[in-house]
Amino acid sequence: MKLKRLMWVVIIVGVLVGLFLLPGGAKSQVDVAKEFELHPLIRLPKLGPIDLSVTKAVVYLWLTTAVIVVGALAVSRILKAKPGRFQSFMEMLYGIAHDGIAGSVMRVGVATWFPYIGSVFVFILVSNAIGLLPLPLGEHHQLSFYAVTGNLNVTITLALFTFVFTHYAGIRQKGAWGYVKGWMLPSAPPVMRELIFVMHIVSEFFRLVSLSVRLFANMLAGHAILAVFFTMALVFQSYLIASVLQAGSVVLFLFEIFIAFIQAFIFAILSAVYVSGALEEEH
Amino acid sequence: MDSHAARLLGAGLAIGLGVIGPGIGLGTMIGSALQSIARQPELTGDIRTNMFIGIGVIEALALYAFVISLILLFVVK
Repeated sequence: MKLKRLMWVVIIVGVLVGLFLLPGGAKSQVDVAKEFELHPLIRLPKLGPIDLSVTKAVVYLWLTTAVIVVGALAVSRILKAKPGRFQSFMEMLYGIAHDGIAGSVMRVGVATWFPYIGSVFVFILVSNAIGLLPLPLGEHHQLSFYAVTGNLNVTITLALFTFVFTHYAGIRQKGAWGYVKGWMLPSAPPVMRELIFVMHIVSEFFRLVSLSVRLFANMLAGHAILAVFFTMALVFQSYLIASVLQAGSVVLFLFEIFIAFIQAFIFAILSAVYVSGALEEEH
Repeated sequence: MDSHAARLLGAGLAIGLGVIGPGIGLGTMIGSALQSIARQPELTGDIRTNMFIGIGVIEALALYAFVISLILLFVVK
């Protein structure tokens, strides 16, 4: 018994020393920031100031759309009363979007605004999930990670949708004047009332910033940390550090899957909160 | 201290000091959410949803610091 334990200790120490003594490969510098640069895959002419070239991000957006369309069409063809594994997964997604997000924070207008909330949830979830698959779109077609939601242009567009729909919902519900009047607290003293009105307008724009930067920074930080863990071994030239880092990167990857879901959830639930805030009667 | 060193120092300080406040906030928020779940397990779903909303709002603060440090590192020349 004791001999066996001693043998295990000797084996583990031997492996660690062996890993430490093994010479690493040639030293190479890795620039993590380069992973997020966009190079045109297909060059297209410029339309005024807008570059129409197809980059990595565009391909990821197409992939996201394709996955959602194919999944939705496939599940609508095979609907059964006794669901299989695929159908129950899609029903679970629908349940999260309908009851967990829209139903739990909106008191009015669930039926009207669920299509937007649900589709933004599914879109962000799928594009985050695709960002965790290594795809051959890197430099020289090597496998690389890239999340399209780690691109500020995409997240600002998504946040602008929420921004526009929030005010559209409010104006449709109460009329333009009624909606703007709802931002003023009628019971506040005269000067405070105008001050609160201005603060409200500023906070509307900060919602736009926080909504877009939260998603962007989360995905960028996650991918930067993954890239550092994957490439740190090249910098340190040691099999010992490499094995530890690879084990750590598995744990981080699992955490990133969790983050991918949570970020989609938070974006959708905050959109629902903003829209329902615009719909509700002034308090 | 040349400007490159100042840039690196500023980036490190920005993210390091920037996560202190959100860390305290998240700790308080998740702690009290868990406490209320332990007291009233039948409200778990509601409390968890609201906790995630709060997490999203607080976490954005730390991410602003992250973006500032990225700007210092890669954009400011």
